[in-house]
Amino acid sequence: MMREKEPLLVVNHLKKYFDTSRGTLHAVDDVSFEVYPGETLGLVGESGCGKSTVGNVLMRFLNKTGGDVFYQGVEIFTKDKNVKTDLSRKMQIIFQDPYSSLNPKYTIKSILSEPFNIQKIAKGEELESILKRLCADTGIEEDLLDHYPHELDGGKRQIVGIARALSLDPEFIICDEPVSSLDVSVQAKIINLLMTLQKKKNLSYLFISHDLSVVRHISDRIAVMYLGQIVEIADKNTIFSNTRHPYSIALISAVPKVDVDHKVSRIVLKGDVPSPVDPKPGCRFAPRCWMAQERCFTEEPSLTEIEKGHCVACHFWRESREKSLTAQHVGIKENEGF
Amino acid sequence: MEHALIEIKDLKVEFKTERATAYALNGVNLEIKKGESLGLVGEAGAGKTTTALSILNLLAKPAAHIMGGDVLYKGTSVFSMSEKKLRDIRGKEISMIFQNPLTSLNPVFTVGEQIAMVLRTHKNLGKKEAFQEAGKLLETVGIASYRLSDYPHQFSGGMRQRVGIAASLACNPELLIADEPTTALDVTIQAQILELMKDLQDKYSTSLLMITHNLGIISELCQKVAVMYAGRIIEYGTVKEVFKYPAHPYTKGLLGAIPRLDVDSDHLEVIPGNIANVHHLPSGCKFHPRCAFCKKECEQEEPAMNRINDNHYVACYINEGGL
Amino acid sequence: MDKKLLFGRIKRSKFFIVGGIGVFFIIILAFTSPLFVSFDGTTSSLMERFTPPEGFSKGLAGHILGTDQLGRDILTRILLGARISLSIAIICVALSAFIGTVLGLIAGYFGGAVDKIIMRTCDVFLSIPSLILAIAIMAVLGTSIINLITVMVISRWVQYARLMRNQVMVIRNKEFVLASKAFGASHWHIMFKQIFVNITTPLIILLSQQIGQMILMESSLSFLNMGIQPPLPSWGSMIANGRSYIASYPWVVVAPGIALMLTVLSFNFLGDGLRDILDPKQK
Repeated sequence: MMREKEPLLVVNHLKKYFDTSRGTLHAVDDVSFEVYPGETLGLVGESGCGKSTVGNVLMRFLNKTGGDVFYQGVEIFTKDKNVKTDLSRKMQIIFQDPYSSLNPKYTIKSILSEPFNIQKIAKGEELESILKRLCADTGIEEDLLDHYPHELDGGKRQIVGIARALSLDPEFIICDEPVSSLDVSVQAKIINLLMTLQKKKNLSYLFISHDLSVVRHISDRIAVMYLGQIVEIADKNTIFSNTRHPYSIALISAVPKVDVDHKVSRIVLKGDVPSPVDPKPGCRFAPRCWMAQERCFTEEPSLTEIEKGHCVACHFWRESREKSLTAQHVGIKENEGF
Repeated sequence: MEHALIEIKDLKVEFKTERATAYALNGVNLEIKKGESLGLVGEAGAGKTTTALSILNLLAKPAAHIMGGDVLYKGTSVFSMSEKKLRDIRGKEISMIFQNPLTSLNPVFTVGEQIAMVLRTHKNLGKKEAFQEAGKLLETVGIASYRLSDYPHQFSGGMRQRVGIAASLACNPELLIADEPTTALDVTIQAQILELMKDLQDKYSTSLLMITHNLGIISELCQKVAVMYAGRIIEYGTVKEVFKYPAHPYTKGLLGAIPRLDVDSDHLEVIPGNIANVHHLPSGCKFHPRCAFCKKECEQEEPAMNRINDNHYVACYINEGGL
Repeated sequence: MDKKLLFGRIKRSKFFIVGGIGVFFIIILAFTSPLFVSFDGTTSSLMERFTPPEGFSKGLAGHILGTDQLGRDILTRILLGARISLSIAIICVALSAFIGTVLGLIAGYFGGAVDKIIMRTCDVFLSIPSLILAIAIMAVLGTSIINLITVMVISRWVQYARLMRNQVMVIRNKEFVLASKAFGASHWHIMFKQIFVNITTPLIILLSQQIGQMILMESSLSFLNMGIQPPLPSWGSMIANGRSYIASYPWVVVAPGIALMLTVLSFNFLGDGLRDILDPKQK
């Protein structure tokens, strides 16, 4: 794949903790990955696994607790104004909720012009022509420019959100659940648009989503997160054909399939995701794991490369696939795990 | 002739608000037979929830107006039933599970009290018996009975939904209506609930009306499926038939629009245009402005439901004459 | 908002119509009064003390509402008083709203220690009885319109600060605010261009509700001889000065009393009406 190239974004042992009244919440706990130019890295996991926090820290909406993040070799947590301005042009974000991501008091035109006003880049006729090009790129009809967000439906608003993110010609875009609040038919339109734009502008995406099917469709590589940690990362085909982490296996099997002919049985995880506040030692997944052994509760597995580009954080990754074939319908009964 | 459990006949419902009138249902015809599980699928605003609420005659007054048609429960119109009769049916013979398990449970009562309350009203059980029964119900949905004395906020989302299911099964209802019961839940928790519902389907002979936008869930849980668009059923049949040989362009589009875990594709199919605006519905077939096969008659007249075979019906002109 | 919808709500809000008409007439009468009154409201004419109300029997040339203990025409003084009261109320509302809004925005936006300091300051200000504060300030600095305004602003800005802070807290984590941040927007830009524009509705409602309160407060202070000083008339001081004659010459007190009540009522109606129209959920 794109291994020969220099990575665009390098995340090293990133940590983000929150102090809560019940203790320290480990939202992101030692997460490392790279994003290469022109690729999409999918970050998938269930609610509370810290995937959105990763995005918010990378956008510097939140301060990091530990670790480093380099964008093209430059540390992103800096006080240097020039670096900050430069980063805000190169790294952008698309939000989940198309309703709260556009200021209801401004027209679409003002919303799309805002980045240029903030950065004092273009105005007047120059701005007009840039906006025109932006509309053409994203398929916004120009007469929509004078409308207010509430006059648009969710899909159109999300396109405006995408156009805004693209306005300053970024290289890297964090897509934080960009389609999960949209209807199926609109969702397809947005995904197609994101993929077309990527090809055209050689964009890199960090695509954060809870929806495995969407992530699989759009990503080149996929990282699976559980309770603040990446448990498995590999390119898309590997992660589906040679799934190794028991959580990834369960996650993939949990998705309801449309296919009416091949009914596959699934691995049902017992219990709920435990609280990320002051996590217990050992593997985070062990209390719900269908193949956990004593070692898992005492020794935390590290993310190890088991084949080229495929890393798994599990002591027993060698056996997981074979075991998954026999371990069906594990523990519907639920009496623990809080 | 024996009546179907539920018969919805040409039901038309409008919502009148300060701003405008929303044409929520525009002639819905649907049948749920005893012991059958039917999936109702469609995008936001298609009228799925309105259909479900009208079965229980629970539409929000005064905004909702029934403009025509009827809903028959075992042959009797629910709109002409007395309030007392309706109360007897709700929760006892027809019960409902909602999308948000947090708001559908009362926060000031323990779950035991809430389930027992249902049992005491509908089954005339004594206090002690009701609690015992409630404990058994919790066990069937996979919750230890000692948690009867816990309050809803002490349960997680998935567990609350289990409690909701337990409460709705309390009186062994004839029909269970599930309105997006897993949409607010995570995938692995959703899987738990789906497996639970499958188990319960085997155990009880309850009919199920499953409302969801997730085609995968329908495929797993239901025998029949009805596809809704702009307040009408546009395709109906067994899940196998409809998902394998979709006949309506909208159904085809919907199936092509979802990314699949099992199939690789570079490009998702897009249904052009927007979901029909319930305030300004197009003439004729409600889907015609977005349809690639639109003909003249599509713009003028609403197509009727046509039979393709015994297991498959579609409301579309291109299928007339048994395509 | 949709213009048609807004117009429909205006038509249906009786509060707004009644209050709006009342306020409109009060403002017109107060500020055009020099054009049609035939007396000077500040010079006394002892010959005409306690003339009873003559109504319109002599047209506009007579003492329509009678005269007071110094023979001054009461209607003229009420209208002059209205002008003074309204001007002071508007100045006070504007000043307290400005201070409160800025501090509330800062507290809500930055949060943390800044928020704590500002909100605790608010608590302190809320716990000062405004009457005692007024007496203290007037005693030290003397009575003047400036001091009156100072007292009124000090005791009212907190309401704006608290309202604005709570509103900002709701808006500040919206994704459009984050989007601005992502483009490197300044705090100033985010506070005013992104957040403030979204919280003007509750501010307008509070403003309109506060004008009546300010008029009432000014009258109360004037009643206690800590507000507008003679010979300038104020409704409060007119009531205060006339109260010893209430048994024999009731109009001296009743006329300014009714004027005060009607004015405050009109502004309160207008405020409630605006709330119904702009924010029907709050009803």
